[in-house]
Amino acid sequence: MNRWIQKCLLLDFFLYFFVALSRIPRIGIGGPVGSGKTMLIEQLVPILKKDGYNVGIISNDVVSREDADRMRKNLATERGLMPEDLVIGIATGGCPHTAVREDPSINISVVEEMESKHPNLDLIIIESGGDNITTTFSPALADYFIYIIDVSGGDKYPRKRGLGIETSDLLVINKIDIASFIGADLSIMERDAKIVRNDKPYVFVNSKTGQGVKTVAEQIVKDVLFDAPPKSVAIN
Amino acid sequence: MHTDGDTESIPSIADLSFLQLSDSFFPTGLYTTSNGLELLFYDKNRKLTYGEISDFIKAYLVQQIGPTDCCVVGNVYNCIQKKDFMSLLELDNTYYFMRLIDETRSASTRSGIQFLRCVSAFIHNDEYLDFFSKNIKSGHARGVYPLSYALGCNSMKITKERCGLMLLYGFVVSVIGAALRLGILQHIEGQKLIDEMKPVILSTVKKNINRPLDSMWQFVPQLDIIQMHHEQMDSKMFIT
Repeated sequence: MNRWIQKCLLLDFFLYFFVALSRIPRIGIGGPVGSGKTMLIEQLVPILKKDGYNVGIISNDVVSREDADRMRKNLATERGLMPEDLVIGIATGGCPHTAVREDPSINISVVEEMESKHPNLDLIIIESGGDNITTTFSPALADYFIYIIDVSGGDKYPRKRGLGIETSDLLVINKIDIASFIGADLSIMERDAKIVRNDKPYVFVNSKTGQGVKTVAEQIVKDVLFDAPPKSVAIN
Repeated sequence: MHTDGDTESIPSIADLSFLQLSDSFFPTGLYTTSNGLELLFYDKNRKLTYGEISDFIKAYLVQQIGPTDCCVVGNVYNCIQKKDFMSLLELDNTYYFMRLIDETRSASTRSGIQFLRCVSAFIHNDEYLDFFSKNIKSGHARGVYPLSYALGCNSMKITKERCGLMLLYGFVVSVIGAALRLGILQHIEGQKLIDEMKPVILSTVKKNINRPLDSMWQFVPQLDIIQMHHEQMDSKMFIT
């Protein structure tokens, strides 16, 4: 056999084992109450699934299981995009930031349980409970952090800074469709996002219609999955 | 000047470890639990009194945490003294099945496992910690919280009695923390209540730390039922 082909096969073999044995990449999504975290996930999962990526969801909620129940119904029960047990809700004792940053023990525990039950998952999304602009995820919990804000708070939002806006790997600015109704100037938000984030990526989206969400999905595949094929494809 | 009785000892690393492990800053996820207090709060039309919370905590300490959790702590230290590794697994299993509420069971193992992991990050080569962690990984142990906690304390040279105090103190603080977040108590009332619980914690530890495993018991049916109802609440801040 050609030596070059042998090398390629060997590389594929190692790639397969790397993909199969490494821990499942985790994305943390944080943002204020009502900014559209759940809706973003509901739009993201079908796009990722269409490309063959299997996703699990852990939804932290401050006062209810509503978000987890909604995603389970929408993504699992009705659309069959994932098994129902891959959407797990966690009550956070009223401390959404603590549960993902200072003491992520319970979340890590649930992630590990999900990993051991579903080792073939490509990605685990952890949604924080709605919080303030200082939210960040512990790197022990999430490998990649998306922070989402929406334009209804006004175009001053990005320049007000805060750890979430400044340090997240990807800033998502949602509800761009209502900007004109509340007098928010998207160009100001874009200008300030660039300055505050030192050119780290940001995306404008409308999670209700799905506008811009594909860009978020592409960013995830590039930055989190390093353009690796879905595990199901790699294994086959 | 205040001294610790007549014997003023030189502070040691173990004293600082005592502070470290009993600090609510130590990551175990216990702040996510209210032990049913949240349901009681709503059942009582959001009008729980200071006295009712005090009774609630006392009932837990005397009727459940003392005769089970504290008993587990004492037995862990006894197992270590006898180098009896296998009895640790029996303790773990017995405690696990004594937890009647599903959410409480899983919260205990999740917190226990994460506690062990955290301690193991800076305590190395402790044969009991290693043994228990390996058995959790292989599925032969569950990792219940009081057992993990006692192993962690032992690895940091904290005595059995102090470990019992820390465990009970941690429980009291977590319930009072939940009461503060629910708005039932205010911050100074919370500290006052902690102070009032000190004699209860002390007597409960004294009574239960040397309790043999075959005398382990619990009896808080009303609180168990409250927690079971709490599990089913649609809208809630706490796990249980």
